[in-house]
Amino acid sequence: MPWIIKYRPKHINDVVNQDEAKQKLINWLKAWEEGKVEKKAILLHGPAGCGKTSLVEAIAKTFKYQLFEMNASDSRRKVDIERIAKAASQTAGIMGRRIILLDEVDGLDPRADAGGVEALIEVIKNTRNPIIMTANNPYQEHLRPLRDVAELVPMKRLSERDVITVLERICKSENLYCEPGALREIAKRSEGDLRSAINDLEAAAALNKKVTLDTVKAVSTYRNRVHAPWEALQKMFNSSYIFQAREAVTSTDLTHDEFITWINEHIPTYYENPEEMWRAYEALSRADIYLGRIVKTQNWDLLSYAIEMMGPGVAFARTAYKYRWKAFKMPEKIKLLAEAKKSREYREALAEVLASRLLTSKAIVKSDVIPYLRVIFTQNPAYAAKIVLGYKLPEELVKWLAGTRAKDVLSYVKKGKK
Amino acid sequence: MSELLWAEKYRPRSLSEVVNQKEIVERLKRFIAEKSIPHMLFAGPPGTGKTTIAHALAHDLYGENYRQYMLELNASDERKIEVIRTKVKEFARSRVVGEVPFKIVLLDEADNMTSDAQQALRRLMELYSASTRFILTANYPSKIIEPIQSRCAVFRFTSLKREDVVGRLMYICNQEKVVCREKALDIIYDISEGDMRRAINILQAAAALGEVTEDSVYKVVGLAHPREVREMLQLALAGNFVEARRKLRDLMINYGLSGVDIIKQIHREIFSSEVKLPDELRIIIADYAGEIQFRLVEGADDEIQLNAFLARLSLLGKKIKV
Repeated sequence: MPWIIKYRPKHINDVVNQDEAKQKLINWLKAWEEGKVEKKAILLHGPAGCGKTSLVEAIAKTFKYQLFEMNASDSRRKVDIERIAKAASQTAGIMGRRIILLDEVDGLDPRADAGGVEALIEVIKNTRNPIIMTANNPYQEHLRPLRDVAELVPMKRLSERDVITVLERICKSENLYCEPGALREIAKRSEGDLRSAINDLEAAAALNKKVTLDTVKAVSTYRNRVHAPWEALQKMFNSSYIFQAREAVTSTDLTHDEFITWINEHIPTYYENPEEMWRAYEALSRADIYLGRIVKTQNWDLLSYAIEMMGPGVAFARTAYKYRWKAFKMPEKIKLLAEAKKSREYREALAEVLASRLLTSKAIVKSDVIPYLRVIFTQNPAYAAKIVLGYKLPEELVKWLAGTRAKDVLSYVKKGKK
Repeated sequence: MSELLWAEKYRPRSLSEVVNQKEIVERLKRFIAEKSIPHMLFAGPPGTGKTTIAHALAHDLYGENYRQYMLELNASDERKIEVIRTKVKEFARSRVVGEVPFKIVLLDEADNMTSDAQQALRRLMELYSASTRFILTANYPSKIIEPIQSRCAVFRFTSLKREDVVGRLMYICNQEKVVCREKALDIIYDISEGDMRRAINILQAAAALGEVTEDSVYKVVGLAHPREVREMLQLALAGNFVEARRKLRDLMINYGLSGVDIIKQIHREIFSSEVKLPDELRIIIADYAGEIQFRLVEGADDEIQLNAFLARLSLLGKKIKV
């Protein structure tokens, strides 16, 4: 039996260093029992090998739940979804309480499994049993509906220390002699992925009863890892070598444009010194220019320059190296961008309407007319309403012009129409 | 119970209603009597009645439905000569019925066209001269290429005199039964720099607040042109990048300004006396603003480029200690 199965945690206490996630899950299950849950599903997310599935299994074993497991990325077909739905809709019977585990929901392909997310949402709405979903990156666009109906519970990437703890436990039970340096090397290369660490240990042990640093170096390789955006930023900003910063840029499943948005948001999070901040932004703005040129000329050779500017260019804007841990949150810009675009469209639409009536260019309307209209709309809603009727302005333009006074203006418009 | 913008409501519809630019109006009336007009170039500062008079002329020539005999183009909105060419071609093709044997193409703000585009325009004017007349307007006639100028009868519009603008504002106040102080109208004239459209806009907004007084005029102008851009610059120069960035987002979201709009406003502010800066710094910043504007026009990302700009300001501000 492979060690990763043999040494799965059997009790919740065997799960290392995820106390917060554990506690949240336990409380939520308790609330389920009492019928008081706010959200009927949980979306457990964290990097590969941090123990998402193991945690759910351990909880099921510890608290005596029957685990109904389903890998979401395999369940493309309608029958599979129906099977989940059926299991979810049954009340706890003689078989005892059950947890529905939907593993790897981020594996749902938005194109190939069109409708898959909607089907899952339907299942969640009607379930009579707790549903736990797992995902590496819950922030992908096509998972947004799932984020709305499920409570997000994050799990941490394991530290080297955590990985070593588990490896030592296995060595003891396998009666294996292991050099301390060897375990450290495995843990380092695993980057917190316990599953790959255990696999590497098993491979090294198969080679030699005594696991030394050399055998470890022979069997285990650095893996290409997919990082969550904030982890990639952590790695990128704190990289000691150019190649690390470059790798960090390509280690997420975001597009380059999306990752640039993350960097743009967080340059001031990481840098405080204005000199460093400016050098970082200058590099980022160069990357932005290269990406623009690629789009325009389809010359993909330029991509490496863009990556070098956005990764190493930003990371090596520092004047002195010091590891700094920072909280990199989801960029506001993603939300704001849509709003800014809408706002620009309103301004354009209004200029279009007024330019032909006032016999002038849209540019003049924007600079000389709209600012005064705004004054009227925010200061005198009753009078503004007359202008709305005079030009038959649609409601969304009124809202844009009047801001917080929109309600007043619109209610006068209503009265005026009668 | 509906109202229009006064700039539209009180626009003269016919040449006989136009109160200023007397010589020009007289010459144009003669053209109308003869039912024949040459190509024309109306040149002069903004808000002096160029476009209004062109419309009034067409109105007097063709009657109420004059707009079907006139193609209106604005060079600052339609920069591509191809667009202009297609539209003119389409328009010139249909025959005119009635006693006037030609139609009018009104090309506003023609001085915004590149000289290449103007060369193409010149050929268009020749090609369709049998059936159309062109009226071009421009703020700066020197930016119109000579071959076009020589084909046109040039009319120079002069800045409106104080008594013309104040008189017109007074007339509007009487019509609208708005109480106003004469001093307030004086101030409106000063602020609008003789631009009638701007003056009327200010008057209408001030009237919306109640009696038109010196205070209400200043208040309206202050509200209409918030100092957001200036504040953003000052925050950045004081080294407060994070707050400056917040202001930037506010401008983009609440005011709907594009990156180019913002960088252009920044460019104006850099040389304003209200922003305290050593002159050598103004030059450095202006140069960088130009670079950023170029990048934006090329299609770079608004926020990233402007953030780079603000980050540079924070650094410069710290070094010079403004």
